[in-house]
Amino acid sequence: MVEPGGEEERPLLDSAQNDCPQRKALPALCDPRRLAHRLLVLAFMCFLGFGSYFCYDNPAALQTQVQRDMKVNTATFMALYAWYSWPNVVLCFFGGFLIDRVFGIRLGTVIFSSFVCVGQVIFAMGALFNAFWLMEAGRFVFGIGGESLAVAQNAYAVSWFKGKELNLVFGLQLSMARIGSTVNMNIMGWIYSRVQDLVGSTGHSTLGFTLMIGGVTCIFSLICALILAYLDKRAEKILCKEQGKTGEVIKLTDVKDFSLSLWLIFIICVCYYAAVFPFIGLGKVFFIEKFKFSSQEASAINSIVYIISAPMSPVFGFLVDKLGRNIIWVMFAVVATLASHIMLAFTFWNPWIAMCTLGVAYSLLACALWPMVAFVVPEHQLGTAYGFMQSIQNLGLAIIAIAAGTILDSRGYLFLEVFFSACICLSLIAVVMLYFVNHLTGGDLNWSAKKREKLQKLAAAEAEKREKLRRQNEDDLAKLQPKNDFSLRNRYLSKLGAQLPDNYASYLPALAHRSVLK
Amino acid sequence: MLGGSRLLLAGLWLLGSFSCLRGDAGGYRRKVTLQSVPGSNSSSANLLHVRAVGRNDTLHYVWSSIGAPTVLLLYSRSQSSALRVNWTKLLSASPAGAIWIEPPSSVVYATAVVFTKVFEYSGANVSALSKGQEEPFYPPYDLADFSWQSVNHTVNQTALTAKFQGVNTSDPGGTLGNGTISFQVTAYEQGGRDGPLPRLLHTANSSKVEFIMDHVAPRGNSSRFMLEVVTVEEKGGRKKLQSVRSIDDEYTPTIFEMAQLVSEPRNDSIGPSFFQWKTTAYGSREASRENAIRCRYHPLQTANRTLPEPSIAHAYFGEGLGRSHHIAAINISFGGEDGEVYAEMGYLSWSALLGFGPPPKDAFSPLVMAIVAVALGAPVVLLLAGGLVVLFARRKRHSQYEPIN
Repeated sequence: MVEPGGEEERPLLDSAQNDCPQRKALPALCDPRRLAHRLLVLAFMCFLGFGSYFCYDNPAALQTQVQRDMKVNTATFMALYAWYSWPNVVLCFFGGFLIDRVFGIRLGTVIFSSFVCVGQVIFAMGALFNAFWLMEAGRFVFGIGGESLAVAQNAYAVSWFKGKELNLVFGLQLSMARIGSTVNMNIMGWIYSRVQDLVGSTGHSTLGFTLMIGGVTCIFSLICALILAYLDKRAEKILCKEQGKTGEVIKLTDVKDFSLSLWLIFIICVCYYAAVFPFIGLGKVFFIEKFKFSSQEASAINSIVYIISAPMSPVFGFLVDKLGRNIIWVMFAVVATLASHIMLAFTFWNPWIAMCTLGVAYSLLACALWPMVAFVVPEHQLGTAYGFMQSIQNLGLAIIAIAAGTILDSRGYLFLEVFFSACICLSLIAVVMLYFVNHLTGGDLNWSAKKREKLQKLAAAEAEKREKLRRQNEDDLAKLQPKNDFSLRNRYLSKLGAQLPDNYASYLPALAHRSVLK
Repeated sequence: MLGGSRLLLAGLWLLGSFSCLRGDAGGYRRKVTLQSVPGSNSSSANLLHVRAVGRNDTLHYVWSSIGAPTVLLLYSRSQSSALRVNWTKLLSASPAGAIWIEPPSSVVYATAVVFTKVFEYSGANVSALSKGQEEPFYPPYDLADFSWQSVNHTVNQTALTAKFQGVNTSDPGGTLGNGTISFQVTAYEQGGRDGPLPRLLHTANSSKVEFIMDHVAPRGNSSRFMLEVVTVEEKGGRKKLQSVRSIDDEYTPTIFEMAQLVSEPRNDSIGPSFFQWKTTAYGSREASRENAIRCRYHPLQTANRTLPEPSIAHAYFGEGLGRSHHIAAINISFGGEDGEVYAEMGYLSWSALLGFGPPPKDAFSPLVMAIVAVALGAPVVLLLAGGLVVLFARRKRHSQYEPIN
């Protein structure tokens, strides 16, 4: 493993002490050392991902229109989602590598943004020329950019806000992503009807123009990428800092060392998300046909999962951190999701109940499941584990999306919901097995936070002692290390045998993959 | 794990065998003959007789294109009852009494369904129609004015199907163009389910009619079509419109509603008569979900309805049809606010089931029940098994410690 340079770890403020030429005082908004400027950068960072999140769910928002105008069945329609996922089965192993070693974060971000833009334009052209294969190609190009852009976005956040407001920044970025999805769900149908009034009829060209208008958000995001690149370059000059990095290291041979617990977590992840995202992709027609919702109502209820998870994620993150017992939380979330799918399948109860349950369960799962990986994987394999997880998640999503479309065409929504419930049950089986495996092997996944804290204190004390011995003359640097739960946890892990680089920022690789949380 | 999967397989097999047993029990079989009644010289005067003989009764379905397309549903208590037709009277101006069942006293229940008109209207804004606002209606097609091709060539004795195909003669070379409107009839010997969509479940006491519009040129940019169906019930009986919403759309994907006209319950063994349909039509010969056309129905009209002449309902029920019978009409429209499927495909097919007895109801398929049982059962089984293993392991560990203490 290559040790990241000390340069990267050092906060921005301190680098002014280097032999950088001292500049004259700048206005607060233009000075990279000041909060006001960082907030400006934060705004651009948030809008950087807006376009890709907005356009990702364009097909779901326009399902009836796409199927009618392009004359495709549901299985073919769902291929639009599958084509987004295919490149990411491979690419999520290389996103970090491309940013760190090949392009650098600035050029990388611009390139990925351009891919997103070009992809959306091709997608819209496919509709304009009535060529569905071109639409699929568009989604493929869009997928190449989309997922890697999220990694780049996180790397930017780390490079600008490390040791400061990082958690808040990640929270904001995530909320922005969800706002993008929600706005898309609720506005694309309206844009389509406006374009329809303008053109005078429905048809593939109406769809094409609508998607082109949706693509404006991607152009907007590309502009944000360019501005960010300029600001980052400028800050680099002023502060003499290094370009941001994801710091992730992927070694595919690590896969053979993955524990049973990790594989079970993978199964939970794939089966769970496969029953949520494809369902949202196909949900609109379901609410219109089964519950007699109007098109607008159906869009609203279909986006409620995203709306709920925006404020609930931080709350649950806090709760899970305080209480521990991750497996119980995951089990609870999976059971709640199962209940909501069963409600949707077998009752005519108001679907808002089921969808709100789903939204809450989905947020809870994200907060409890993803940190578990860090417990069962040694530090140096964390990047590989998350990359692998993301890869098979994309693979699962692509396959299940097509399967879901086929099932819907041939056997209808009841069977589809039963199929999703079966996926959730598979996930539940994996959770139960994980519980017992963890119990029998004496793992720490289900400890309460109290117990964990006790052990962590022990470990931390030991680690600190060791560290003091090792770098007595560098103790001022040690103080700068973030003292959050995560780093303490990883010190505990390092005690178990994983040798950590001295100033390894343990949360970087994990957070670089937050895009998976969508 | 291995034991668990074997258990699951056994459960699946058990469920499968149960469903087979159930299927056998419902397999009541009738002996069905379907033939065109000979005796007329005019090709348009078709009379199709479906005779379904059961254990101690006979169902007669008499389909005809004399006048408006009509079907008579007659339930006879005799296995040897037969249809009699007086052709000269039937084709005369006063056809009352031209059709009867021999012996007449064996008929305990008679009802009729008449397809009278096809309306066409501009349907860019269908919500206006439900609000009762004036819709730009085009002159309707009166199905009684159509010229119907001979049904002889379309009778299929093995598949028990026949097709009435009509072209508009009152307006030659006119708006209908070379389009046709047809009624495809299918009779059933026993209970089961159709292969093609909408996959209606049928019993041995029912028949299916499929209304097909082929290449009928729409007169406007956003034309919608609407079929008027009139039912005739004997005095005292009365048809009611019911909407059966089901969570089960397995057989007709994304369609959750079945609409049906059911007569009042009767005391005899055969029960009520029904006319039921799923709220969907299809825009292609190969019906599938992506060419589905939204199908709506409008409230049942019962006040002051008369049955327009001529039709064989008049020939069977006689002069007193207006006074002593209960007549109800319903409009069934095809195409929603944004459905231009018909304009693109130039084809529309809509199926309905008619017959005696309680209307068939969809039930969960064994496959769905098996998946649900296995999927919900497996985690519970695993939880119990795991709990036992953990308990056992703990006790074992405990017993190892005890001697030390």
